[in-house]
Amino acid sequence: MTTRRRFIAGLAAGTGAAAALPGMPALAQAAGDRVRKLVLYSDPQASAPAAYQAALLVAQTWRQLGLEVDVRPTPRQQHSQIVWFERERWDTTMWRMVGRPERSDPDELIFNLFHSTTAKAGFNFVGYNNPDYDKLAEAQRGATDQAKRKELVLQAQAMIDRDQPYAFLVHPFNIAAFNKTVWDPKSIVVQSGVGIRNLWTFIGATPLGQRKDMVLNARFNLIALSPLYISGATDSWVTDLIWDRIARVGPDGLPRPWAAEKIEWAGEKAVDATIRAGMSWHDGRPVTVDDVIFSFEAPARGDKVPMYRPFVVDIDKVERTGERTVRFHLKRPNASFITSSLAKINLVPKHIWEPVLADLANKPENVDQLKEPSTVGSGPFKLARARFNEEIVLERFGAHWAAPKMERWILRIIPNPEATIGMMRSGELNFLGDYGGDPEVLEKLTKDVPAIQMAPETDIGFEFVAFNHRRKPFDEPAFRRALSLALDRNVMVQAAWNGYAVTANSHVSPALKFWHSSAVDNPKTGVPQAREILAQAGYRTVDGKLHYPAGRKEDLKPGE
Amino acid sequence: MAFLGRRLLHSLFVLWAVVTILFLMFRLMPGNPLAAYINETMTEDQQEAMLRQFGLDRPLWEQYLIYIGNLLSGELGLSFHQRKPVWDILMAAFPNSIVLTVTGLSLAYVFGVVVGAFLAWKRGTWIEGIGVPLVLTTRAAPEFWVGMLLLAVFSFGLGWFPAGGANSAGAFYDSELERFLSLDFLRHLTLPALTLALYLQGLPLLLMRSTMLEVMHEDFVTMARMKGLSEWRIVIRHAARNALLPVVTAFALGLGLAMGGNVVVETVFSWPGLGRLLVGAVSSSDYPLAQGAFLLISGVFVVMNLVADLAYTALDPRVSHDRVK
Repeated sequence: MTTRRRFIAGLAAGTGAAAALPGMPALAQAAGDRVRKLVLYSDPQASAPAAYQAALLVAQTWRQLGLEVDVRPTPRQQHSQIVWFERERWDTTMWRMVGRPERSDPDELIFNLFHSTTAKAGFNFVGYNNPDYDKLAEAQRGATDQAKRKELVLQAQAMIDRDQPYAFLVHPFNIAAFNKTVWDPKSIVVQSGVGIRNLWTFIGATPLGQRKDMVLNARFNLIALSPLYISGATDSWVTDLIWDRIARVGPDGLPRPWAAEKIEWAGEKAVDATIRAGMSWHDGRPVTVDDVIFSFEAPARGDKVPMYRPFVVDIDKVERTGERTVRFHLKRPNASFITSSLAKINLVPKHIWEPVLADLANKPENVDQLKEPSTVGSGPFKLARARFNEEIVLERFGAHWAAPKMERWILRIIPNPEATIGMMRSGELNFLGDYGGDPEVLEKLTKDVPAIQMAPETDIGFEFVAFNHRRKPFDEPAFRRALSLALDRNVMVQAAWNGYAVTANSHVSPALKFWHSSAVDNPKTGVPQAREILAQAGYRTVDGKLHYPAGRKEDLKPGE
Repeated sequence: MAFLGRRLLHSLFVLWAVVTILFLMFRLMPGNPLAAYINETMTEDQQEAMLRQFGLDRPLWEQYLIYIGNLLSGELGLSFHQRKPVWDILMAAFPNSIVLTVTGLSLAYVFGVVVGAFLAWKRGTWIEGIGVPLVLTTRAAPEFWVGMLLLAVFSFGLGWFPAGGANSAGAFYDSELERFLSLDFLRHLTLPALTLALYLQGLPLLLMRSTMLEVMHEDFVTMARMKGLSEWRIVIRHAARNALLPVVTAFALGLGLAMGGNVVVETVFSWPGLGRLLVGAVSSSDYPLAQGAFLLISGVFVVMNLVADLAYTALDPRVSHDRVK
């Protein structure tokens, strides 16, 4: 019996036991209307097996509280449409927040997920509205003193723990693997919250033999390859390597200078950067301070670079202060500026992009619609060939100050996970960068073929159940807290994620050791605990069904 | 000529109907194409700007007229997702698909015709007793299962063939023709083409067999026997040639059908073809790309249908569509 089956069987037995327990006293005289049937949206099993399995477990647990729950698997596109564009319509949904290197700074998740200004059309799709939280989110953003900021980030996590706007479930593992007879294991770098598929591995991976090409896989086709357009996740792996940035998120999750030798705060609203000497573009021309200034000013001018505009809105002015020095003047203090802007904006050659943007100025199109955007960057790799649904080939850029040890970085698009395993076995791939199959199959491969080493790493992202605060009873923190604390996260980890995840109760992953609050980890969970919270909030169970507190009416219909 | 003109008009009408159905189908599907681009960096204004850019803020009839106008001027539009001309994206995948389809189909038809004729010849023997159920079983096996089986045996097990893609990692060629003619491409093509061939061989085989059985009872075959010709000569020179007619028609139609049905094979073998492109476009509501891909497949189908009609007339002068009332 697999681990997953054993846990489901165990849970089912637990359900039976719970049903046999004496329920709460039926106090029909003190009860309000019966809580309507709740709809829990999920991606279909085929596209998100773990999340779907988790949805079934969630529904099973909530039913023990006297709720009627309908799990509604919905194709991804339609699911996104409902959750994102029809914000009044749904009750609860399985959702995930993906990890990205720039999310190593907690600002993006602390601010965007729960600040009330992003509730209407932004990422606060659950509609959490807490003025106290807003103040904390704003204060941490403005605190350039790291110790003070950390204290505010911890407070924000405590507030989210109290209010439970989501029921956080798990931080899944990023699963990757490599062939240790091809690549020196000591040269493979684990980046906090990201895993081994990162820039530091790609520049540092040292070949042990004659094979000097890294051949890795991606499940999804590339969408675009442009330094001024953010497209798919796979695309960003490639753009990260072709274009340099002033700073990079380091293996420890904290920002560090990259194309700059030095980055320093000059007061609360200014940052100085000294650009490295001797850098050049892939076409041989030197990288200058003017190129750097242009790279940050281009997204700010007009609406021609819409995707990168949000990352420069806090910049008031970029000033040349010397041959290799530049000062960023900010409109307001922004503690995450180095990560959210300097480690995000791609440096682009002014001599190529200035005429392109000038040409676009008189047209309705923007850079997103450029048919053949230039791929000249200054990064450690340069583009040799791009076939978006087949293969991307990058070559080492020998003139780079951090030139890679490998000769070529070859990304193969392989949609079939079983074939991916076969290719690792046969040597067609020597680095597994993207795996969507069963982790146990990969683990078995590492046992059969000792040359393959697996490298799981806790993700910055997380999987959760989102509650729609616009719809009662989810407007009540006590109700949300009860539903959240009813869920045993350890069961989720084992039964839905096959043990390849850690439990979650915060929007700041434990992978970000500096920022994560361990005080909110592992809250006491269980159905009895949830029943107690509901009872204290006035909810009553009548004939096994949960009712609102006295006087509260149900005026919504399921799925309305 | 009049027949050809009428057939061309029919084909154009069919294409117009396909275009219209495709246009409406994608727009009536649930889901906003923007849902595929959800990103916390995208403001409400940016979302609206994106709808404007792609003309999705205009009434449906206006979108339809623009779409038809663009098609008439040979413009398939820009992919929502890749922001590239749909034609360029399709043409990057089309050669791979056509090579896979033609190879798989040719293998299937050569095998089907030969074995079909053989089974008809061996009518009533134990060979037929084993052969026909075997053919039906192979035909009924799901493509992904056959593909995975071939992968497990010939790639993962014996290591004779690569597990995916159309070329080895990082292989460079001076031209597409050189690539298609390379041994490396052939090695990559073998398993997917074989999977497709195994899936497709049932139709030509059974068609050839049943037509042969009919033909074998014709007067001219009896005459040949009376002349003392060998059984082998009768089967090959007289019966098989006459039985080939419906098989040729089926081949032409099969090419059109197989073009759209390669999705599974392309996914199992990571083959960079039209089928995978189509699935990606549909799942991300990339209307222009999905419409373009469907249109291309429909175009191949309609053209091959026309070719089948013409081939039928040319191969058998007794058949004239003009005389059919």
